[in-house]
Amino acid sequence: MSADCRLAMDVPSDVGFARVLTAAAEALALRGGFGRRESLRFQLTVEEFFGCLTETVDASQAIRVVLTGKKHLLRAAFDFEAASLSLGGLNVVAAAPACAASEPAGDLGLLLAGKAADRFHIEHRGERRFGLEAEVDKAYPPGAAVQAPAAYPAPFTARAGSDAGQLAYAAALAAAAYPAWHCPGSFQTPGKFADMIEDGQVRCVVATDAAGQPAGLLSWTPCSDRGLYFSGPFVFAPGQDGAAVARVLVEAFLSLVGREKYEIVLSLRATPDAPDGYFESLGELKLCREDACRPQQVLFRHLREDAGLAVWRHPDLEAFLLDAYDRLAMFRNFLNAPSPTSRPRRESLLGANLDRKRDLGELRTLLDGEDLVDNLRRHVAALRQRGLGNIFYYMDLSQEWEAALAGDLTAAGFTPSVVLPHGGRGDLVVWQHVPAA
Amino acid sequence: MSRLLDRVPAYVREFESYVPSRPDPVLMRQYGVTGLHRLNNNENALGPPPLAQEAIAAFDPHRAAIYPPGDAYDLRAALAAKFGKSPDQFLVGNGSCEVISSVVRAFCQPGDAVVTADKTFAVYEWVARFSGVEPVLVPLRDQAIDAGGMLAAVTARTKVVFICNPNNPTGTWWNRQTLETFLAGLAGRAVVVLDEAYREYVTDPDFPDGLEVLTRHPHVLVFRTFSKMYGLAGLRVGYLCGSQEAVDIVRRTHIAYSVNALGQIAATAALADDAGHIAATRGMVAQARSFLRDLFDGLGLEYVAGEGNFLMARTPVSDTLLYRRLMREGVMIRTMTGFRFPNWIRVSLVEEPAMAAFAAALKKVLDKP
Repeated sequence: MSADCRLAMDVPSDVGFARVLTAAAEALALRGGFGRRESLRFQLTVEEFFGCLTETVDASQAIRVVLTGKKHLLRAAFDFEAASLSLGGLNVVAAAPACAASEPAGDLGLLLAGKAADRFHIEHRGERRFGLEAEVDKAYPPGAAVQAPAAYPAPFTARAGSDAGQLAYAAALAAAAYPAWHCPGSFQTPGKFADMIEDGQVRCVVATDAAGQPAGLLSWTPCSDRGLYFSGPFVFAPGQDGAAVARVLVEAFLSLVGREKYEIVLSLRATPDAPDGYFESLGELKLCREDACRPQQVLFRHLREDAGLAVWRHPDLEAFLLDAYDRLAMFRNFLNAPSPTSRPRRESLLGANLDRKRDLGELRTLLDGEDLVDNLRRHVAALRQRGLGNIFYYMDLSQEWEAALAGDLTAAGFTPSVVLPHGGRGDLVVWQHVPAA
Repeated sequence: MSRLLDRVPAYVREFESYVPSRPDPVLMRQYGVTGLHRLNNNENALGPPPLAQEAIAAFDPHRAAIYPPGDAYDLRAALAAKFGKSPDQFLVGNGSCEVISSVVRAFCQPGDAVVTADKTFAVYEWVARFSGVEPVLVPLRDQAIDAGGMLAAVTARTKVVFICNPNNPTGTWWNRQTLETFLAGLAGRAVVVLDEAYREYVTDPDFPDGLEVLTRHPHVLVFRTFSKMYGLAGLRVGYLCGSQEAVDIVRRTHIAYSVNALGQIAATAALADDAGHIAATRGMVAQARSFLRDLFDGLGLEYVAGEGNFLMARTPVSDTLLYRRLMREGVMIRTMTGFRFPNWIRVSLVEEPAMAAFAAALKKVLDKP
């Protein structure tokens, strides 16, 4: 695994220090071999987020800033205290963003920061404490066309993948053989996939045949402190051999992670090659593209005995959750989370992940606000306008305030689809937006 | 402002603490059952030997206020008398897990390595990891610990080799010849721990007696326990035996007073009265093993039935799903994914009613789609 380059600073909440941060961001990008465009985007992200936070965080307080350079991305993490946080301008649909104590320059900066980063995440860490993370990806060239081997001689073995050339080749084979829905985005740029493996961001097992050729691939990445999200199994060998490859991939995967800290593995994009008996179905998602829809199984398995969990439950979700947990033979302590009677701020903030390859938009509420239902509707409309037919919303049942939003989601046209045990801090409910008939 | 976690060594920070099963009453409430057959921890369903039961019943509650012998003096004397050794060749711990920890602390420092099998009792690997010691894991060969592979994995950094004999969870074991060849090949380059937690279940005369082996190989340490055959798992008593020199080294890193008074008394009594108990337990285990073989043969399930009071079977559905479904029927088994055997379960061999309950529950839950 490559060593990250990491800078940590406690910076006074004073915009005058922004240049220190942009200089550090530039040096980090340069050291990591990032292009000029990514470097500038990262500097802009750091500068504008920091500038906005100085207007929110008391001048006597420091903002802890950690800049991390990995082979495939640059990350800026801000840890700070604030009496209130209103970052509505970060919504992807925001047109006139507002910052705390808003001044026009600050508003524009926040909009720029939100657009310059490839993704960002805000976390309320209790009381007055918040965390904000933003990432800028390295640009990679798309993968070249690859030639699959003519034959795959048995027997097949699988082990953790680490050879960059082999990984890039296997990722390209998978991208060529499977629909985009099943493949991680990095398979389209195999060099990025290999770098993500080296960074430790993604892990994988590669199946090889008797001649040492890649015959299959299965990759995974943490989706929470307790869960791993896997993609695959991608099988290149045909027929019965393919079934054997799928089995050795899954056995190797589970053996590698079975004694780690994770409780579960799951996938919303498992391939039909997943062998019988190794995973449970959590249910189905309905995937649509150009008016044609198909079901996609959500696969899951525990890695150890389920010890139970407490989850927050809104009355609107009670019947759905009772049925889901009963089907899974899974015990949960239910805590009541009624709809909120008041909201902590005027403007809500939604995190949005857009994936054009899969026609997929993923939403979750980062900050609750009075305009949440309208904000959800605006996001849905914007995503549909961009041609994204599959819109999911993720709700973490370990957070009372998140669970309490079930009524808002229903009002905005979402329907609960599946429960992902340990998919977040606690169990996660995937909601799917159903267009009005 | 540094976080508490920033002050922790990386090998501790990256280690996840073990989460044991919930207590039975909690599990019964969670799964909506009124009783639970415990087939998950390889406990002895017959309980402790009669003299140990009497000693426990006779324990004066006032003695709970008195510290126990800090070095298990009487128990070590009883062990020495039974096995023809010096009391100084024994070290008693709070279960054999504690002596694993003492051995790693005594012989290893961060950066060193231990060698063990990839599919064996997990605690060797865990203790190594959270001590900054690399566990080098050797794959099993034909479900047994691979002597050649273990030897090949030993390097100058290797300080301890852990061999679980019979192996948990496969029940496979090294015979005298395999062990002697291995020790000759190792030639004293590392300490060898022979974990014989299940040795009292083995009747084959070709099974090596670690306490005899260590008389010829001074770098061998033997672990045994009162938690399995002797039915004292709830009191947590295990011990190691080795050369006086080796035991003296381990004693330096071993916490005194870690074994409670009742455990020491019960274990001492158990040793004095074990022949009938061992015979009865072996009979029960043999009967249960035969029952499960028939069951799994009938269901067409692959299984590994080695030595020890357990049996491992491959399941047609995820072992963790099977666990939850069996729990709803009041039967608790051990899932094997954590032992790197995905889709296998381990079932303790106990008395007929519990075995029958398991069989009925298994058939019922496997019938579900």
